[in-house]
Amino acid sequence: MEAKNVYKAYRIKGDKKEDTKIVQAVKDVSLQIHKGDIKLIFGPSGSGKSTFLRCMAMLDFPDKGEIYLGDQCLTKPGVDLNKARARIGFVFQHIYLFRHLTALGNVELALRQVLKLPKEEARKRALAALAEVKITDCCSKYPSQMSGGQAQRVGIARAIARNPDIILLDEPTSALDPELTGEVIDTLRDLAKEGTTMLIVSHEMPFAKEVAEEMIFYDQGTILETGPPSLFFNAPNTDRAKQFMTRIINRTTR
Amino acid sequence: MDVWQQFIFLVEGVPLTLSISILSFLVGIAIGLPLAFIRVYEKEISFVVDAYEKIWRGIPEIVLMLLLYFGLGPYFPMPFNNAFFVAAFVLGLRSGANQSQIYRGAIRGVGDEQMIAGTSVGLSKWSAIWHIMVPQVFTFSTPGLGSEYALLIKDSAYVYVIGIFEIMSRSIQLKAMPPGDVITPFILAAIIYIAMTFPIAFSLDRWGNRRKKKIGL
Amino acid sequence: MFEFLFDPKYYTWILQGLSLTIEITLFGVLLGLAIGTLLAIEDIYGRKLSRGAIAVYVEFFRGSPLFVQLFLAVYTVPAILNLRIDHYLLAFLVFGLNSAAYQKGYMKGAMQTILDDQMSAGLSVGMSKIQTLRHVILPQAYRIVIPSWTNEFCSLTKSTATVAFVGLFDLVSAGISIRAWTYQILPVWIVIGAIYLAWITGFSKIMDIIYERKKIPGVELLMQ
Repeated sequence: MEAKNVYKAYRIKGDKKEDTKIVQAVKDVSLQIHKGDIKLIFGPSGSGKSTFLRCMAMLDFPDKGEIYLGDQCLTKPGVDLNKARARIGFVFQHIYLFRHLTALGNVELALRQVLKLPKEEARKRALAALAEVKITDCCSKYPSQMSGGQAQRVGIARAIARNPDIILLDEPTSALDPELTGEVIDTLRDLAKEGTTMLIVSHEMPFAKEVAEEMIFYDQGTILETGPPSLFFNAPNTDRAKQFMTRIINRTTR
Repeated sequence: MDVWQQFIFLVEGVPLTLSISILSFLVGIAIGLPLAFIRVYEKEISFVVDAYEKIWRGIPEIVLMLLLYFGLGPYFPMPFNNAFFVAAFVLGLRSGANQSQIYRGAIRGVGDEQMIAGTSVGLSKWSAIWHIMVPQVFTFSTPGLGSEYALLIKDSAYVYVIGIFEIMSRSIQLKAMPPGDVITPFILAAIIYIAMTFPIAFSLDRWGNRRKKKIGL
Repeated sequence: MFEFLFDPKYYTWILQGLSLTIEITLFGVLLGLAIGTLLAIEDIYGRKLSRGAIAVYVEFFRGSPLFVQLFLAVYTVPAILNLRIDHYLLAFLVFGLNSAAYQKGYMKGAMQTILDDQMSAGLSVGMSKIQTLRHVILPQAYRIVIPSWTNEFCSLTKSTATVAFVGLFDLVSAGISIRAWTYQILPVWIVIGAIYLAWITGFSKIMDIIYERKKIPGVELLMQ
């Protein structure tokens, strides 16, 4: 996938008309990710990383710039976005499971409605996806009956069930209790080992060090610096990156 | 009668419509407010409030008006022979049931901490309710009260069945008078009612939002 | 006093009237739910023009008494169109249209409680907006809206009492007729009132039980 010179801003409405602020969340950001790559975007909260990721997945529309999935330009008018989104897997920070369906139902829904698979085959593939995230015992549970970690793993299963070209993950562990992040990280590690193309927004630094091939520092709407994990953990080039890394490493080692 | 004359004729019913609605609304406050607090703060007798609400939810106002005016009127002419009394009685008590629900939601919205703070400075339960909860509850209830008042203006049309000569009755009268016009009276009546309900709900909403900001909600 | 109840002539009237009342109510709330859902969807996703039209529609039906709307439907509309239309049909329609104006608000509220996240989730797995509405949003919205719908049902039943005054034979008409034949006023209205109370309370109780079973834990519509 590729993003070329993407811009996105959004409005925060204040009480009076004059108070409406315009936040430029994505300022001329370009990014390329090839098959099999595992890249991680990190940076201070509120810098626009999630907004950018949602633009890549065409869940929000960029104001300017282009997004490509393979050869296809997604930002051109007239493109069938639904077909494109079917080839992209997305995992949300707040999980967003379909509350009225069981875990199995959540994974099956897209297989039946988007890929139009017949009942038995959809069920088989759904069970396979749930097995990959090691959570088949929760099959007939509803989201309200699961823990955060279980729910997020179902979310991951839902994203991979269609065998998408790439998986985008928006802070998959940020909304979970610290004890539950472990299970999700293990799942992601397994996926990485299998060669899945992943673009992750996260601040799980130990995970980043282990799994990411390239790390991207994102601050105030733009990409400030990119490089392998070794660069950031030893000697980042930019001051902002240095600042951020010291603060984060202090926090995780304490 | 031409359109303008019909219009004037209908507008002459507005004072009656308004007085019935306003009176019922006030009766509703007088009943609904205590009921709401009883329901929240006096658990042992709260079933009385539930029963009261159920009755008013379950019997049409028209039936009650017919029952009281034609059924009890002959036996107890003092209050029940007066159609205006019966109208305000039925609509007022019904509004009490609705308002009790509105205030209950508002009480929950204001929150228990306010009551606890009140009793912590030494106020008795009902004193705290009166001085601390009630003012805040009103601020919270404005949207609901706005729609309740609009409802009363609309339901005042029911009093046609007991012979009060307000807007609805007048429009039917116009239909009965030669030449039997069935088009303009009802269209005009609808317009007049809409003109009465629209501004009230709208401004009560705005007033409530402004007061909420003032007390920092 | 209450002997009229045992006279077959009279209780047949009651049953006839009651069945019309029940029919109008059920037809009204169900048609209202269907149209209300469409209006809610159009209000969320439609263009300014349709939203304006919906606002006018809602303001008309919510701003004027149902009593007046009934007269408009039964007398004014046929006169303007210069046609003879069955009064029963007109009454059924006006109750449906009126209920739709209220239910649009309830459905829109229910949908918006879950809309942003569930729509994102639906799109993220490749479904279209319509597919997501159909398989994800509406199934949840219908469950969330049950208490408001039940409330609307109670309100509508009570307002069906008006149809007696445009010449339809509902439960109130039955009461009026029985009173005319037996000269009993108070007992008749007490019985009629009790029948309404039983029907409304019974149906609400059933809906409450259904809601307890079907509701989505942790997701409720804040009524206001």
